[in-house]
Amino acid sequence: MKRLIAAISLIIILGCGVYAVAYMQQNVPITYDGSNVDVYELQQNPQDYDTSDPDGVASIIVQENLAKTQAVNNVTAIVFDFRGYDTLGESFVLLIAITGATVILRRKRDRWEGGKK
Amino acid sequence: MKKNWKRDDLIVRSLADSYLPIALILGFYVILHGNISPGGGFQGGVLAASGVLLLYLGYGFRGIATALNMERMHRLEAIGAIAYVLFAMLGIFAGYNFCRNILWNSGEIGDLWSAGTISLMNYAVGFKVLTGVGFLLLLIINLLSTEPGHEHDGTIPTTELEEGGDAE
Repeated sequence: MKRLIAAISLIIILGCGVYAVAYMQQNVPITYDGSNVDVYELQQNPQDYDTSDPDGVASIIVQENLAKTQAVNNVTAIVFDFRGYDTLGESFVLLIAITGATVILRRKRDRWEGGKK
Repeated sequence: MKKNWKRDDLIVRSLADSYLPIALILGFYVILHGNISPGGGFQGGVLAASGVLLLYLGYGFRGIATALNMERMHRLEAIGAIAYVLFAMLGIFAGYNFCRNILWNSGEIGDLWSAGTISLMNYAVGFKVLTGVGFLLLLIINLLSTEPGHEHDGTIPTTELEEGGDAE
């Protein structure tokens, strides 16, 4: 019974994935693949390279940062807005690591009586 | 020579008293100004958590055991994580997607309150890292001071205690 439920759920998830792929193939959004960037020219003459209109999502983040987020610090805008999921994962990794250290060292904490009044 | 040396309380404690407010102020400054100056929640949290080490240097294990509560710090870390998720879910409550910055237009560019949920999530992460790294440092300090007899007089052993043989 459990295997049947698991198989049905996997089939449903697979169907959702196939439908998503088929749906994305119908109307392809405008993507920035960096095809216009001349990497060799940029590596040879970085001062003379025309960076006024480069291709790529990084240039969008840099150029339209103030208009999109109003955060002066660009790194904070990227970490907490454009990549919020990433920061969420990082903070939970820290939480899980500290919880693991607590579990390992739990026998050494018997003498601690701080703040218990 | 004696293996357990008495800590020079006056100099170390004075320096700890002097540098503890500076470390805390620098840490909270970096957390608060995360959206308008270099830094952020992670760096400021670690800076402010170094106050735990300064407190330990100045006042030893007993001082830190009477001043701080480990269980409460662990709970506050979980509260910081939950606050981050809630600030990220403000977009869902407003009808947009997860991590959507719905308050981005609520302040002036360059002010302390600007960039909407970026600052709020920054504060949440700073609080979380502050309490988490502080809790980790408390764990390490508690593991370091497991030698019996020195937590009441403020001394720390310079070498590990050998079984049997007495000090020369």
